[in-house]
This record gives sequence, C-alpha cells and structure tokens, in this order.
Amino acid sequence: MRKDVLIIGGGATGAGIARDLALRGVDCLLLDMGDFCHGASGGNHGLLHSGGRYVVKDPGSAAECAVENTVLKRIAPFCIEDTGGLFVSLPEDDPLFADRFKDACRSTGVPTEEIGAEEATSSEPGLNPLAVRCFRVPDGSVDPFSLVQANICDAREAGALALNHCAVTGMTVEDGRIVRVDVQDRRGRLSSPIVPEVVVNASGAWVADVAGLAACTARAGLDQGSMLVTYGRQCRHVINRLREPSNGDIAVPSHTSTVLGTTSRPARSPDDSAVTREDVDFLLRETSALLPSLRGCRIVRAYGGVRPLLGGNGREASRSFSITRGDAVDNLVSVAGGKLTTYRLMAEKVSDTVCDMLGNSSGCRTHLEALGPPADVEGGSIALARLRRKYGRMASSISTSDTRVICSCEQVLRSEVTAVLKTGDALTLADVMRRTRAGMGYCQGLDCTLSVLELMMQGAKMDPLLALREFLREREHGISQASGDQLRQGLLREHVLNGVYGMGEME
Amino acid sequence: MSRVLVIGNGAAGLFSSWLLARKGQEVVLVGRGTPSTSMSTGCIRTRPEGCEREMAEFLVNEHMPWAVGARAGLSKIGTPFRCWMAPSHSTWKYGEAPGSVTVVSIEGHPAIHVRIASSLLIAQGIRAEHLSLPIAVPPEVPLTAAFRSEGSWELLAKALRTTSSDAVLLPAMVPLREYGRLDALERQCGRKVLEAVTPLGPPGLRLTELMHARAAGAGVTIWDGRRVTALDIKGDTVRGATVSGGSEVKEVATDAAVIATGGPLVDGLNIKGRELDDPFGVFQVARSTDALRGGYASREGMMVRVDGRRMANAVAAGDCVYSERRDHGSGLAGALDSARMAVMALEGA
Repeated sequence: MRKDVLIIGGGATGAGIARDLALRGVDCLLLDMGDFCHGASGGNHGLLHSGGRYVVKDPGSAAECAVENTVLKRIAPFCIEDTGGLFVSLPEDDPLFADRFKDACRSTGVPTEEIGAEEATSSEPGLNPLAVRCFRVPDGSVDPFSLVQANICDAREAGALALNHCAVTGMTVEDGRIVRVDVQDRRGRLSSPIVPEVVVNASGAWVADVAGLAACTARAGLDQGSMLVTYGRQCRHVINRLREPSNGDIAVPSHTSTVLGTTSRPARSPDDSAVTREDVDFLLRETSALLPSLRGCRIVRAYGGVRPLLGGNGREASRSFSITRGDAVDNLVSVAGGKLTTYRLMAEKVSDTVCDMLGNSSGCRTHLEALGPPADVEGGSIALARLRRKYGRMASSISTSDTRVICSCEQVLRSEVTAVLKTGDALTLADVMRRTRAGMGYCQGLDCTLSVLELMMQGAKMDPLLALREFLREREHGISQASGDQLRQGLLREHVLNGVYGMGEME
Repeated sequence: MSRVLVIGNGAAGLFSSWLLARKGQEVVLVGRGTPSTSMSTGCIRTRPEGCEREMAEFLVNEHMPWAVGARAGLSKIGTPFRCWMAPSHSTWKYGEAPGSVTVVSIEGHPAIHVRIASSLLIAQGIRAEHLSLPIAVPPEVPLTAAFRSEGSWELLAKALRTTSSDAVLLPAMVPLREYGRLDALERQCGRKVLEAVTPLGPPGLRLTELMHARAAGAGVTIWDGRRVTALDIKGDTVRGATVSGGSEVKEVATDAAVIATGGPLVDGLNIKGRELDDPFGVFQVARSTDALRGGYASREGMMVRVDGRRMANAVAAGDCVYSERRDHGSGLAGALDSARMAVMALEGA
C-alpha cells in the first residue's frame, strides 16, 4: 500500500499529526500497535497545563503550554473542563519560591493572579487552611481519551486512514530511505506492506524501538510516574503545590473522580509502569497536605505511565520536545518529549517538517478549526451534554431514549457501548473502556464487563474467557495496592470471579 | 433456660440460632440484613466437616430439594461450578454432565449472558444452543416479575419443545415458594432444568429465605434490619447489647452472645488500611497477610478481649472467625461448621 506518510503511534501526538496532515491534504496512514492512547497519552493526569508548573525550571515548555492551553480551550472545549487551577504554598515551603514563580509567570506569558488565602479557601473549601500564598492559573482538566479520539475522527473525515492494533514489525532501508514497512494487523485489514514517502515516528516511549527498526537512533529518557484515582471529586480546581516541581504535587478533578500525582523514577522499558505500595502511600501523604480530606479518601485505583522525556531523566528533564530526522535515513522523522498539553504544537511542527519534505506548501489549520462541538449547545439535554463531553461529535449518534445503564459505577449507557462498537475500532474490553469509561469506576469492571462482552460478541467472534482474563488482569494491577473499602471491593471481586465463576479453575 | 443474643443474620447467625433454639435456649437474632448468604451462591462448595447431618436437617424443605454429594452446575456465564451440597435444580451429579444445553435468554434482560455462556460451554465440549424468549422485560424489573403469570411459564415450556438438548440453563427467576415450578417444567419438557449459579442472586437469595424460615420455625426471635452498636461487657462477660434500628434504640440483656457478623467481605469486620479491625473495639483480631483469612481470635473456642482476657460467654461464628483454610467459594460450609463449633463452645462454658 502506497502512502505519502506513515505515522507510527496513535497517542495524542500521532493522532494530532494525522489530523494536521490530513487537513493539509496529505494522504496519511496512522498505525498503533495497541489501542489509540494506550501509552503515556492515556497514562497521565489529564491535566491541561497553564504552564505554571514549569515557569521556574523549564520556561520554554511553560511558554508552549501557555499558548496551547488557550488554543485547546478554543478548539476542543467539549473535552476540557475549565476548572481553573490554584498554586498553593504551605508553611513548610520555600517562601522565596512564590516570588520567583510570580516573576517567571510574567516573563513566560502564563496568566496568573495572586489571591488571599481566604479567597482561596472560599473558592476551594477543601484546601488546607494553613495555605500561605495562592495563585490562580488557567489550568484545566482534559479527557485525553476523547481528545485523541476526536483527533482521529477528524483525521478520518479529512481522508486519513487510522488503524489500531496494527504493529510495525520491520522496515526495509535502501539507499538511505525507508522503502518498505512491514505490519502485522491483529484484525487482518492490512495485508500488504506499506510503501511510504515519509515515516513519522511518534511512538512516545517506544521512539527508540521504532527508530531502531530503520537502524536509526532516537533518544528519550524513560521515566515512570504513578497516579491515584480517588472516589468522587475532592476538589473543584486543579490544585498544584507551589514549590519546585516534585512528587505528589497535583490533584486534578476528572469526571467522577480526582486524579492525584505524580511520582518519578527511571523506567527500564516502555512497559515498566508498575505502581508500588510506597508510591501510593507517598502520593496520599503529599497530596493530602494540600487537600486534607484526601487522607481518609477511598482510592479506587492506582496507575502508572512512562513519560518519554528529552535530555536526562526525572524532574530535571525538559518537558519540551524535539524533532529529529533519521541520522542515516532521509525519510524518517522522529518526535520525542513534550506534554499532552502541547501535543497540537508538536503535531504542527512535525507536519511542517513533513510537508517540507513532500514539497507541500499548505499551512497548519489545526489551531483554527474546531475539533468537536462547542461546549454549550443551546437547548441540549443534560444527558446529551454528558455524552458530548465524552464523545464530541459522535455524541449525536448515541440514543438517549434507551435508558439502560451498562456500567452503574460510571453510569454508562448500553447505547454508548453499542455506538462505540459500531465504529469498529474496539477490539478488546479495554478499548471499549477507554472510549466509554465502562469499567473505570470503583468496581473496576466486575459488574459491567460481562454485559459489555456480551454486546461485543454479537458482532465479532471472540474467545470470551481470554478477553475477560486479559481485561480483568489489567484492572487488577490497579487495585493490587488497594486498602480500606477498595480492598474490600477487591476481595469481593476475587470471590465472585474465582468462587462463583470459577475463572481461576478454567485455565 | 437462658437467653442468647446472636449478632448477624447471615448463614452462620441463622444456623447457630437454629441449633441453639433446638437445644431449648431463648434466642434473639439481630441482623442488619447483609447479602452474606447469597454471596455464597446458595451452594455448599466444600464438604462440611462435622455437621453434615445437622445441615441436611436444617436445609431440608419441600420447596427447595437439596442434593448431597459431589455436584456440578453452571454459572451464568457457562463456567463449571463444583460443589458438595446444592439445590438439586442448580446442579447435576458430578460426572454426569449433559452433552448439550439450551441457554435461555429473555429479550432485553441482562440476567444471563447467552453468547458468553454458549461459547464457554462449547469450550468444555458441551453443545450449546440458544433460545431467546419473546418476553420483553424492562431491565429495572426483576426477572421474577415476568414469571408471575401462568402465560410466561406456558410460553417457556412451549418454546422448549422446539429444542432438543439434554438440559436447559435458565436465568434464575423463581421465588422460593414457587420452586415447584421447576419440577413441573422438568416434567413438561422431559429434561433437566438447570438454574444458572450467580453471585448476589438466586439461588443464594433463596437459601437465605429458607434458612430464615427454618430459624423462625424453631422459635428464634428475629429482629431484622437492626444493628448492634455497642456491647455491654463487664470483665469477661457479655451482659447485654445496644440494638438500634428504625427510630428506636434499645438495651437488651443477655446471658451469652454469638458474634456472626461476617468477614471483611460483607462488612462485618472493619478494614483500616490493609488491616482488619473489630468494629466493637473490644475483641482481639488475628491478622493475616490475606484479609480474607483474618478474623476474630479465639482461645478454647471463646473470644478474646484486646487485653488478652478470655471471654466467659462470647463466641464467634462464621467468616468473622480467623481461619487458615478459608478460600473463595468455600465460605458457606466453613461458616456452618464454625457455627456448630461456636454452639458447642457455648454449651461447654
């Protein structure tokens, strides 16, 4: 199959590049070895940065975030909750840092306003009353799954082909060019190798592995970060600790929960995302200094992601990004680093590079054209507004007259699952979950999984036991460190799966 | 005659109340109504140790015939389910598996997962066929509601005539008092009618119903929907309890107590962090790396106070007792065994 551009990696960056190039009229193909968003694009806070977090140590990235923050709020308001953010210092924090923060915000263009502790606690009632300095910033909460999905939908509408569960297995290089890319499609849609003009490596944490297929090098420091999902929304704003970026600094309200993060340690591989008991304890201790109610809060799940960072590891590394042309190969472009917040900018720069190579002179339009429906549509129902937040433009194709709920934790409608299955992208239970949230709630898929699977089996032949095991095992990682009521939930889960369904015995 | 207060209306509470009542004790059973016995699916997974006879006697009832011995059945997703004692309609004699099963579903109702069940049956070498009943059941209405009318049963029997399997797998949908329907259906369609085993649903709920009736029949005073909020303990003796429920709070005097509040799973023991804890703040809890196995400590069958003192008239029964052997699905036999042990310990005291 001939294609102008093959994009490898269906995270935010890859999906953004596919949209950008497609809007410029470039014939492109996007492939992901797993589901879209299965890497760091799904394994993050869902924090739409104002840039505030990086103003002092990483002003370049802060400035990028500040610009992209406003762009994304304009083009994709449907999947962003404009919660606003607070940077808050506590008595034990360096008192000079607040002044450095204030100055740096001014010089990097991050809008900020200092408010009194009293005003802060009145707008954020759960905040530690000992808060010393407080700043408002335009942080927000973004649903990375719907953001990426919307990019893919848009890219497809503009003519791009995007396939998940399709892995690149090899590349043939001749005369300094990649002339052939071999793929393995889990669903057999692609049977012949790809013959691309340009290959874009947007595979995030896997960037070095993919470059290696063309005997090129691409560097990214792999860094693991852990996050916790709490039961219920524990804050109204994104809450940041006003200190040098370190661990356990952030709480982001998201859908029905709050995401607490993060930690940082070198990762051995892109899959090395495991969360330890120490991470959980640490995150709870640190974030509850900002929001004391978190101390007794039920933790639904812990998850980790592996950040592909530029230059060095951990907190020292820049959150900016780099675009490199393959050292020995002319038509390979690798992109590494960056943030979810700056994905569009990264995509724009990569697309500029690619268009240069192709001799295409059209300019970027992704910052101008809306990615989904506007945030508030007159006359819409609450149900539709909820769906719009998750599905963007696809929301209108979901029937709200069928009120059957399939996932009671997350109140997912049966018709949402049906609509998602109709798109043909969802191959596994986790794929359905990423799109609908069915299985993300406090029972972690115990209740809804069977009903979702039953629906999936209407349209496709699959091994139900294998599908169940794969999904439930993945969910189990997240609750293996559970305590309190969530531990009880975990026991119930084991009891039902092993004791009643006998899934342990069916090996 | 002395009065015994039994706390907890799960399997262990009901069984120990019944045993005590038969021995001529005045028994007051206080329970807040937990899904404990239904969690055990209504089937007894492992062979009970010492009270097979008492259990058979306890469970025998014209509405719900029990079968004893190695049994096998199917869960609602078609996975095999092995047990020792079970309602005969949920299971077959182990080793006599049907060669083919008709999986019955009801339009629009999520009670059974036909495609999953059929596929998993086939994986076990059992031929599966799918029968969808043209009865529309709104999802918020329990399945039993649709089967209250004669018409539904006739429709089911008629639809089954078009199938040819050895057995029929039904979503559980019969209340205890109408259990005879299944016999009638078996006679009508001339083959084994199996009820799918489910968590948190019949036949477990039906077992609770049955146990409740047996205990009440033996003269146990049952206060449902109430909880014991505090115990009145002097030295090593329980003298009474504070029972609250509805709008009233009352003090109850007692000569002995059986604590059968359940394990961590059904909320009988608190979980603080990853540790188990006694909600009364009185008794010693033996911890285990596996929260499922941890529970109340005992010495010579009696409960132990946190200060190490052995109680004179308090015993624990059921899942709240520390156990090395408890496993997923073995809870019910263990709970009943431990209820018998608890009653024996009280008699010795």
